[in-house]
Amino acid sequence: MLPIEIRPDQLADEMLQYSQKLGKGIENLLNASEIDTGVSPKTAVYREDKLTLYRYDAPEGTKRSKVPLVIVYALVNRPYMTDIQEDRSTIKGLLATGQDVYLVDWGYPDQADRSLTIDDYLNGYLDRCVDHVRDAHGVDRVNLLGICQGGAFSLCYSAMHPDKVKNLVTMVTPVDFKTADNMLSGWVQHLDVDLLVDTMGNIPGELLNWTFLSLKPFSLTGQKYVNMVDLLDDPEKVKNFLRMEKWIFDSPDQAGETFRQFIKDFYQMNGLIEGTVRIGEHRVDLKNVVCPVLNIFALQDHLVPPNASKALKGRTGTKDYTELAFPGGHIGIYVSGKAQKEVTPAIGKWLNERS
Amino acid sequence: MTSSASWTNEWMEMQQKYWQNWADASQRLFGQETTPATAWGNGMDHWWKALAPAAGSDMARDFMDKMVEQGRFFFQMAEEFAGKLAGAGAKADWSGALDNVTGSLKDAFSRLGAGDSSVHKMFAFWELPFDNWQRMASSLSPVPGDVLRNMPTEGMRSKLDRVLGTPGLGYTREEQGQYQELTRAVLEYQETLAEYLGFFSKMGVGSVERLQWQIKEAEQKKKPIGSARDLYDLWVHCCEAEYADRVMTDEYTELHGRLVNALMRVKQRMSVIVDEYLGAMNMPTRRELRTLQDRVQEARRETKRLRSELDALKKQLGGKAAAPAAAPAPVKAAAPRKKAAAKSRAR
Repeated sequence: MLPIEIRPDQLADEMLQYSQKLGKGIENLLNASEIDTGVSPKTAVYREDKLTLYRYDAPEGTKRSKVPLVIVYALVNRPYMTDIQEDRSTIKGLLATGQDVYLVDWGYPDQADRSLTIDDYLNGYLDRCVDHVRDAHGVDRVNLLGICQGGAFSLCYSAMHPDKVKNLVTMVTPVDFKTADNMLSGWVQHLDVDLLVDTMGNIPGELLNWTFLSLKPFSLTGQKYVNMVDLLDDPEKVKNFLRMEKWIFDSPDQAGETFRQFIKDFYQMNGLIEGTVRIGEHRVDLKNVVCPVLNIFALQDHLVPPNASKALKGRTGTKDYTELAFPGGHIGIYVSGKAQKEVTPAIGKWLNERS
Repeated sequence: MTSSASWTNEWMEMQQKYWQNWADASQRLFGQETTPATAWGNGMDHWWKALAPAAGSDMARDFMDKMVEQGRFFFQMAEEFAGKLAGAGAKADWSGALDNVTGSLKDAFSRLGAGDSSVHKMFAFWELPFDNWQRMASSLSPVPGDVLRNMPTEGMRSKLDRVLGTPGLGYTREEQGQYQELTRAVLEYQETLAEYLGFFSKMGVGSVERLQWQIKEAEQKKKPIGSARDLYDLWVHCCEAEYADRVMTDEYTELHGRLVNALMRVKQRMSVIVDEYLGAMNMPTRRELRTLQDRVQEARRETKRLRSELDALKKQLGGKAAAPAAAPAPVKAAAPRKKAAAKSRAR
C-alpha cells in the first residue's frame, strides 16, 4: 500500500463537494446581517468616563441572592463573551442560579485614557462600581467574579479591599506568570515595554490580536476556515461562527500606563506571587485575600496554562479554597455546551452556599 | 485496499483521464491549461470574484476569501503528494518519491529564508504567522509592512554606516541627525525581520521533516491518508507541533522581543520627525498632547478623590441630622456601609 491513497476521482469528488458547500454556504454568508452579541436584557446603572456598569434582569420567577455578584472582565477583548448568544451565556446561567449579576464593561480607551494606571482602574473605577452596588443593595460586601486578566485584577482588589468582598471566583486567571508552558510570558520577557508604551501611547488592539493569533497561527488563521466549510449550510452555525469572529477581532486598545505596569510587574517580575506588585498606596499581598475563593481553570487553555492558575492554591489567606478544573479551552469555558452544564451551575451553587 | 502496483496503474490511468478532462475544461473556460487543483482554484476565484461584491459584510467577504484560499492550498498539496507517490513507478518506490517531494519543499523553505521572494506565494499557508506580523506592522506604520521586508540591504550596510556616521552640518544639522537615526532604525528593523523570516524558514524545514515522518508512520501502521483534507490536517498538526516547540526556545523569545523593539524604534523615530513638522506648522505636537493628557488625568484623579470624600462627609452629616451639632469625625471613604439608601451616582 501507499501511505497516501488519494485517487484522482476522489480528489475531484472532494473538490466538488468543497465547492458545493461553499456554493450553498454563500447564501448564508450573504444573508448574514449585523451580528448581535450580548443577548440577556440588562440596564446600565452606573457610568463613569468610558466605563459602564450593567445590571442584568432577573428571569421571571427567580429569587435573587441577597449578595450581588460583580463580574470583572479583562481589559483585553470585550465582555460580551460572557453572554455571547442565547444558548451559550455564562451570565444567563448565573442568573438561573439566582445570582444578581452586575458586569463591569471597561469600554474602549482612546489616547486621552493613555495615562490611566492600574490604580485608576482598580482603586478608582472598580472600587466606585463596588461602592455603587453596595449602596444599592445596602450590603457591606459583594461577590466578585474575575475573568482572565480581570481575575488577576479581582485578586488584587480583594487583597486591597478585603472588607468589601464576600466571595471571590477567579476564572482562567493567571497567578504565576512564569510557568514553563506560558507562551505569552516567554514572548514578553525581552520586550522593551517602556519603548513600546512611550512610542505607541496606548497599545493597539491589532498588536494584541497578532499576539493571540500567534499562539496557534496555523489553526487559528487557516484551518478553522476549512473546518467551517462543513458547517456553512446551517445559517445558525454560520452566525455563531461570525459572532465568535467578531469577538476575537474586537480588541480594545490598552491604556498605555496600565499595560506598562501589567507587563512589567505581573509578566516580567511575576509580582503577584512574589508580593512585589504595588498599586497606588497598596502593596498587593495575596495573603490579604481572606474570603472564600473558587478558582476555575481550563485544562486545555493555551492562553493561561492551568499551572498558571493553580499557583493560587496556598498563596491566599483564605481557609475556604476550592478548585474546579474544566476539560476545555480558554474560550470554551464560557461558550461550550459542556460549560453551560458544568461550570456555571457549579459557580452558582458554590456562591449560594456562601452568600 | 488494492495492491500498490495495481493501484498505481489504476491511478496513472485515471490521472491521465482526469488531467485531460480538467485541461480541456480549463482551456475552454480560462484559455489556459493547468493542473486540476489549479484549475479548481481558478474556477473558484472566478466564481467568488463575481459574487464577492454582493457579499453582505466585510467580515463575510474576508471569511469566504479565506475558505477559498485554504481550499486551493490543500487541494494543491494533495495533488502534489498523491501524484508524486503514485507516479513513482511500478515498483511503487514511494519512499524515494516522498523524499523527493519533501526534499523540494525543504529546499524551497531554505530559499525562503535566503530571501527568495519567488516562493512566497507558494508558501502562503506556511507564512501565516509571518503574514500576520506584516499586517500588524502595516497597521502601526504609515508604510506597508512588506516595504521594509523587500528593501535590499546586502552589501549596503557598511556603506550606509559610513554615511550615517557623518555628523550633520549647518542649520539643518539636527534634522539630518534625525533622518540618520531613522535610517539606522529602519536598517536594524529590516535586518531583524530577515532574521525572523530565516527562523521561520528553519521551522518550515522542521515541519516538512515531521510530515515526512508522519507519512511514513501511516504506511507502517497501514492507515493510509485517504483524502486531501486528512493530508491538510496532518500538515497543520505538524506545523503547529514544530511551531510550539520552537517558539518557546530562548532563541525565539529573544528574537521576538528584538523584532517588536526594532519596529518600535522605527515608529519612535518617525514620531519625532512628525512632531518636528507639526511644531514647525504651529500645530500641537504629540508630545505636547501627552503632557496635557497627563495633567488632565492628574487633575481628574484629584477631583474624584475629593468628590468621594465629599460624598462620604455628606452621608455622615445626613445620618446625624437629628443629632446635636458636633464636629464631624474623620471619614474613611471606603468605610463599610450599613443599609445605605440606594442611589445611582452616574457621572
